[in-house]
Amino acid sequence: MRLKHWIVLLLFIPVLSLASHRMDMDSMVMNENPMTLPEGCPQIAGDKKITVRAGRKYAGKFPGLVFAYDQQSWEVAPCTRLTVRFINEDHIRHQFMVHGLPPKTYPEGMFTIEVSGPGEETAAFILPPYKKTYLVHCDIAQHTEHGMKAQIKVAGGDRELASLPGLTKPIRPDRYPTDWKPFSITMLLLALVGGLGLVWGGRWLIKAMSE
Amino acid sequence: MRLIRFLSYLAGIALSLLLAWVFFPGKQTEMDRLAPATLKWIPSLDETEEFCQFGHPEWRQAQTIEGVDIEEDPQCKPDNPYVVASVVKGTDKISMPTLMKTRLAMDAVVKQDDRDGDGDPDVIHIKLEVAELNGSTPDGDFLIPGYRIAPNLTPGIWVFVPKMRGMATIDSVNLDANPLLRAPSPPIRVEQGDTVYLTLENSHYLPHTIHLHGVDHPYLSADGKGNDGVPISSEKPLMPGERRTYRIQPRQPGSMLYHCHVQTDKHMLMGLQGLFIVEENRPNNWLQTFNIGAGKVRHPSRANRERFDQEYDLHFQSLDKERYQPIQDHNDPRLVAKAMNREYDITDADEDFFLLNGESFPYSLRDSLVVVEPDQKVRLRVLNGHPRTLAVHFHGHKTRTIALDGVPLKHPFIRDVQALAPAQRLDLVLDTHDDGLHSFGPGAWLLHDHAEKSVTSDGVGPGGDISLVIYRQLLDENGFPKLQGMDLVPFFNRWFYQKQVPVWARSKEWEIYADAGALPPNPIRVIISGMLLGLSLGLIFLGWRDWRKSR
Repeated sequence: MRLKHWIVLLLFIPVLSLASHRMDMDSMVMNENPMTLPEGCPQIAGDKKITVRAGRKYAGKFPGLVFAYDQQSWEVAPCTRLTVRFINEDHIRHQFMVHGLPPKTYPEGMFTIEVSGPGEETAAFILPPYKKTYLVHCDIAQHTEHGMKAQIKVAGGDRELASLPGLTKPIRPDRYPTDWKPFSITMLLLALVGGLGLVWGGRWLIKAMSE
Repeated sequence: MRLIRFLSYLAGIALSLLLAWVFFPGKQTEMDRLAPATLKWIPSLDETEEFCQFGHPEWRQAQTIEGVDIEEDPQCKPDNPYVVASVVKGTDKISMPTLMKTRLAMDAVVKQDDRDGDGDPDVIHIKLEVAELNGSTPDGDFLIPGYRIAPNLTPGIWVFVPKMRGMATIDSVNLDANPLLRAPSPPIRVEQGDTVYLTLENSHYLPHTIHLHGVDHPYLSADGKGNDGVPISSEKPLMPGERRTYRIQPRQPGSMLYHCHVQTDKHMLMGLQGLFIVEENRPNNWLQTFNIGAGKVRHPSRANRERFDQEYDLHFQSLDKERYQPIQDHNDPRLVAKAMNREYDITDADEDFFLLNGESFPYSLRDSLVVVEPDQKVRLRVLNGHPRTLAVHFHGHKTRTIALDGVPLKHPFIRDVQALAPAQRLDLVLDTHDDGLHSFGPGAWLLHDHAEKSVTSDGVGPGGDISLVIYRQLLDENGFPKLQGMDLVPFFNRWFYQKQVPVWARSKEWEIYADAGALPPNPIRVIISGMLLGLSLGLIFLGWRDWRKSR
């Protein structure tokens, strides 16, 4: 980043920090909150740090996906201060955006780190005390839909989110051609023999009972 | 004997079922003396949009933001003046409060180095992303981010967009695309002689490039990399997550074009195409680098202000249902690629939706009007983004063509239908001097492609690329045209372009063209077919009883 960009940034730090919003050429953080306790949290229960990597290469192990995080689910204790180091390994924007947080503490219920290209940004927020699963995704057009989706489970979470790469089934799954391999054909033949067996077995049972 | 009896039963059953089928009332019934009554249709308010619901009426006024003069745009939905100011000064130079009203990234438009000392920057960095509108999602039966070209019409579209920050949607509840994510790909303006670094950040899940059609650019950039955007000759397509910078220093001004050159019969026609305008070099010439949504240019170049009273970009394009269907049917890019590249066949294709500046009628009345005053000279830069000839027609006016494909004409010609080949650009002058040739006087004059299917949306009219050349006095205080023709309410109803409601039905007088009701089935047919069905059932029962007795 050039010196003048730092100067512009420094000039606006008072405005930006009031709105819990910091931004420069390389990254943006919204609703960063290392101090304010969400309703119901008597104190910060502990600190946890995670490193999240984002990029096309992390989708490589999931056929049919294009973008992904290196991890799709995190477990966090209630009232934990979670520090996220978000590393973008692509040459486009990616986000680590959390939804469903209490709007009193987090406007629109969101916490966001956006990194503009290859690089990283770190920010912290405090999770609420309730047992709940929070959506994490990249809200750039069609990134969530193509794999950049994850979840944070507080106190075990209250559900599993759908379409998490490799973890959960989509609500609206794609359909592919059916492939009859020898294993499936053998299974079908065995099931057929089993069905015949049921008929003979039933006859034998009725006969035995009537005798 | 037993066999003959059973065969008789079977024949009787078959014959009675056949006759029952023949006599059963059909889907349609002939009228007797009176035709059925008219079905009245009153558009539900809940299902009908307001003509103009817009939260920032103050954006319409002429204003100056951070030293950038922004012309008045009195239409219902004018361009965001803060976006205009940001792309004129540069997103790195504008103040943070202004930039925060735009959703533009800080590095979307960076302007540097006044090399010739004429008071404007000469090294311009422009960053584009690629966005899909109305794509499918594995998370449910909806399209995201949502973008309507007309009420309840959501075709799949791809667009180049300025580099943004934040969410693609309006917010976390409203999943419609945010105002920067819209069709068409925005017109880009640079100055003759500028060094322009145009960076494509491929945020989409398919490969893309940028070809600078008609713009003076070297085949290879200084480092020997491809600079023409053509996968089969100059460079490999840009994969998802990658970025590439095209370097240009255009020596000639004119209205040009940029488009994706990967599978052009699909990618360009899905919307990856936009105007690229090289403005004449002038001192202190700060340009509006992006014109989001095309239409009115609120901060025209010096050269245009010298010669014209106003400037508009008019981008015509069309969409084919079969072409975009794969992105609404599948999420997996392998399925999308197979369906688009191998199952879709453009040689059998026909376009279904017709857009002017990214929207169809009636939305075109909200932000794609050409608003004029008498005795003005208005420059129109027209792009034909269709895969076939465009025949632009202005009611009440004959326009003068001053440039073709960015090349000035020595002998301009005047026409009321201006023809453009695919990818062609025309610079037209709309002269509103009322002399019976250039203008027939003030009015709300229709503007459209005169290839008639273009004035429909999937065959329902009025739709498509209809808009208006409207004289200022005929706009109301909310920027909506004061018209005296048909009632426009049905066109804003969510069922109109779904072909679910009649085109003419809104008054007592016009009820004669509303939908006719249905008729009850012919009673004789009902009785005969019912009796035959009963007969066949009886024969089945008797046959079954005989069979049991015979055992």
